Amino acid sequence: MTGARADTSSLIGHSKSTPYLLSGPSILMVTALLVFPVVYALWGSLYDVEFLGGPQHFVGLSQYIDLFQDPDFLWSVSRTLIFVAGVLIIGISLGLVFAFALSRATGRLRFMRGLTIVPYLISGIATAVIFRLILNRDFGEVNRVLSLFGIEDLAWFSNPTLAMLASMLAQVWSDLPLVVLLLLGGLMTIDADLLDAADVDGATGWKRAWKVSIPLIAPQLLLATILLSYQALTSLGVIIALTGGGPVDATRTLPIALYEAAFVELKTNQALAIVIVILVFNAVLTLSYWGLSRRYDLEVA
Amino acid sequence: MSTTAPTTVATPRPATPRLNLWLRKIGIGIPLLALAVWTIYPLLMTLSISFKTKADVSADPGLIPSNPTLDGYRSVLERQGFQDAFINSMVVGLGTALLTVALAVPAAYAFARFRFRGRHLLLLFTLLPRLIPGLGLMVPLYRIAVALGAIDQLLTLIVAFTATVLPIAVWLFVGFFQQVPRELEEAANVDGASLFTRIRYIVLPLAFPAIITVGVLAFREAWNEFNLVLGLTSTPGSRTLPYELFLMTQTTGFQDNPGQAAFAIMTIIPFIFVYLRLEKHVVSGLTSGALK
Repeated sequence: MTGARADTSSLIGHSKSTPYLLSGPSILMVTALLVFPVVYALWGSLYDVEFLGGPQHFVGLSQYIDLFQDPDFLWSVSRTLIFVAGVLIIGISLGLVFAFALSRATGRLRFMRGLTIVPYLISGIATAVIFRLILNRDFGEVNRVLSLFGIEDLAWFSNPTLAMLASMLAQVWSDLPLVVLLLLGGLMTIDADLLDAADVDGATGWKRAWKVSIPLIAPQLLLATILLSYQALTSLGVIIALTGGGPVDATRTLPIALYEAAFVELKTNQALAIVIVILVFNAVLTLSYWGLSRRYDLEVA
Repeated sequence: MSTTAPTTVATPRPATPRLNLWLRKIGIGIPLLALAVWTIYPLLMTLSISFKTKADVSADPGLIPSNPTLDGYRSVLERQGFQDAFINSMVVGLGTALLTVALAVPAAYAFARFRFRGRHLLLLFTLLPRLIPGLGLMVPLYRIAVALGAIDQLLTLIVAFTATVLPIAVWLFVGFFQQVPRELEEAANVDGASLFTRIRYIVLPLAFPAIITVGVLAFREAWNEFNLVLGLTSTPGSRTLPYELFLMTQTTGFQDNPGQAAFAIMTIIPFIFVYLRLEKHVVSGLTSGALK
């Protein structure tokens, strides 16, 4: 942990309460706006109303029991798993290729590293708008290029499978910068002597990447995997503006189900139960991320 | 290398290594080209569509518009709500950046320099934003804000966004303050400088790059946030840009493609400018903050 060596015995000009006064506002704010809402959600998920705007009464865990017996909710869980898995497969493959290429880009090509981060600066909604345009059936650039290879007229947003793929691609586009920079960071720390030794032994190109580099960046790969997973798990803006959860619920992941329960069907108590389910999934991912980063003693945590 | 037989000095470099070198260049060049296309081409295409007429979007699919027009931008600027949303985004972005720095600097100083009960909270601080993402806060904060009558207020957005970036901001500042040599402060202390004077004249000037990084990070968070705006606003005048853009995709559907493209470009451009000017400060901060 950072800050283990703080010793103020030699610094004067402060009383015992000074550190509390300095850090108090931040701690208070985070407690009130990050921690309290979760407690509130947990409490609210144990209640329900008879009718919209009616009084709340205690129902115990029945919201959760109802959820896990609701085929629509289970469908959303399965869509989420497919979405996360697809984002991982596309994201890690592309991330590895791009990170390897960037690690060799020297001299004038170094500007490419700065370029890589650009999608990360763009909001999920704007990302969705961009993908709606380039995947458009009539004038989208992607279909025009694919038609050169004989693949004609893909209906990205009315075919359920393609809509899921489109959502994955947009999500990956948005988060790939983090993955590439994380993997690149790992590749840059590999000892050049080790790679030279592999060269001398005749391991070059693919073989060297596969047998030497990739095992050495295993920690960063694991972290990138978890990072992509929780970004995908909690992604609302990209999907809702790209497909709206459709067609026929094909991309109705948990965040979309949460949005609909809360703001379309106005079942906010049920929505709070969905919040807790998402937070539990997320906590499992975060804690494994944190555990791994400590185990590998990485600077990122 | 082992295949070369250095019999004659005058022979140019042997064929095999040269072929290898060439293959290696292609092996790096193609992925780099793919990376550039993947990153930039969607943006260029969007930029191109934003300058086309509605009819030309499908009639003239090239990258360079043959009849460039500003109609797309005009239709967005004329939209009721765009100007409000733009001003709201600016106010909320700058407000979040200022409030985040103002709260995070003293807290981080305390975490970095003092031994006190509660210092272990720093670890919790670094974990919280990932344990509790904005999506998880959306519905509970909506209910709380309704109960408090705080819905539809820019200040509510600023406070909520600040809370979500504070942990990362504090964490970045702590790392930075620990690099400021304490001898510097001890020397000033001997000269009678108070805690406030030391922070103001020694720590803050040295922390300037970190302040810029955190400010940009907080601004980005506020500028791009969608989930919490969805939860905390309900009337047209109180929304920020991502929400307005979302509404545009819902209401005009696929009809006004140049308009949607122009809107997206206008939400992106201000931030790209900020980023390009501050790139060297920001990249490391953005990545370390984001990867946490």
